[in-house]
Amino acid sequence: MSSANELVKDIRGLVTLPHVYIEIGRLIDDPRSSSADIARAVSQDPSFTLRLLRVANSALYQFPSAVESVSKAVSIIGTAQIRNLALSMSVASSFEGLPNELVSMQNFWRHSLLCALTARQLAKLIGGCDPDALFTAGLLHDIGELIIFNRLPEQAKQALLLVLDSAEEIQVHQAEQQVMGFDHSEVGGALAKEWNLPGLLEECIAHHHDLARCQRHRRETALIHLANTLAVMAELDTIDPLDVQPIDAAAWEITGLTQDCIEPVVRETQAAIIEVERLFTVKR
Amino acid sequence: MRLPLPPALPGFEHIRRTWNDSQEFYTARILPGEYYVTKGDEAVSTTLGSCIAACIRDRVSGIGGMNHFMLPASAGAESDSWKAAGLSTGTRYGNFAMEHLINGILRNGGLRQNLEVKIFGGGRILANMTDVGMRNILFVREYLKTEKLRLVAEDVGDTFPRMTLYFPATGKAKVKRLRSLHNNVISSQENSYIASVLKKPVTGDIELF
Repeated sequence: MSSANELVKDIRGLVTLPHVYIEIGRLIDDPRSSSADIARAVSQDPSFTLRLLRVANSALYQFPSAVESVSKAVSIIGTAQIRNLALSMSVASSFEGLPNELVSMQNFWRHSLLCALTARQLAKLIGGCDPDALFTAGLLHDIGELIIFNRLPEQAKQALLLVLDSAEEIQVHQAEQQVMGFDHSEVGGALAKEWNLPGLLEECIAHHHDLARCQRHRRETALIHLANTLAVMAELDTIDPLDVQPIDAAAWEITGLTQDCIEPVVRETQAAIIEVERLFTVKR
Repeated sequence: MRLPLPPALPGFEHIRRTWNDSQEFYTARILPGEYYVTKGDEAVSTTLGSCIAACIRDRVSGIGGMNHFMLPASAGAESDSWKAAGLSTGTRYGNFAMEHLINGILRNGGLRQNLEVKIFGGGRILANMTDVGMRNILFVREYLKTEKLRLVAEDVGDTFPRMTLYFPATGKAKVKRLRSLHNNVISSQENSYIASVLKKPVTGDIELF
């Protein structure tokens, strides 16, 4: 019987964070480095540079003038957010080494991006949370699925069939628990730890289905829990909570948001997804 | 409290039925290629990708059921031209599925003039060149028209898989759209059904009615 930790150890070497992300992180953590150093590190990676400029000029950041240079992008976007962007922009390609037959990558990343866009909006609504960190958390929240689909395809398929075939409605993570004894949020959490991702990302990934276990980043994790359900609404083109998996009442309490936010947020996400999908997913 | 399982009508004993504890009813769960008819107070359900489920009942007596089928892609015929080509060999499978269900209802006391129909499914769940779902939808609509059967509701097409639940006694139907996460699993179920259908020669006890 595998555990979440063993699965993650298994894929060491197959899925790695890009050099540019690690380098930017090192520079940000180094008090002697300047934003010019960071801009230089970004420029070392031409494809990342190009994509960074496209993102900086997209509707995601509504800058009044064109962002034409890396140093301008770094100064406007901010160094901490450049790190998030580097992670967000490279995560899809990092996982190309883990193919699976259960879910198309396009469908997988679409849900992740819908969640990312929704989480970003919700963070702006409540204030006090970093919208870009929440975007990254949304993009990564189901990352454990890709590991399960690749390493345990038979059990993963059993779990998906269980969801389709149960008399009572159950969710994917509950089916995974029944079949494997752990679920994708644990696997994702273990990966976040292995990669030394910031604690905020680790908690959002590890606890988005179980807010009670969250310790430090409760608001952010609650936002990802909400964004996950709202992302499914955007995908299925519905705003009726009965059409999708239930939202934990604690998520509304912790964030102070109310159901009134559902419709505008879902609509906004639906409007934004097409452009953002082009920026963040792997082109075929 | 769990109610006693309603007796299965002859020929439907093999269909798996499960008890839903939170909503307190039995559901007969059908797979691609199967159908189920009941006189009892129970539901029939299935999961659809590009397949169609026709839900048919006698609206007076409440006898009714559901089928689950799709047309195999016939060699050389594209989705748009199958109609122009007349009834391709592929539509036989659709005709059988519809006739099996209707005959099952009539054989158990339903009356043809009382029949009402709901249709679900036919989603375009894979980004293929041909829209298999649309072909199934066109077929079933055409079938209902030819047979002069009353279509009272439908939820077809679009890009979603669907979980469909139907209560023949009342005619109530519930459709739940499913996430694209399930697309590949559903379509591989549908493909293995089609492969098994094509292996078997088309024979059976179909009568005209």
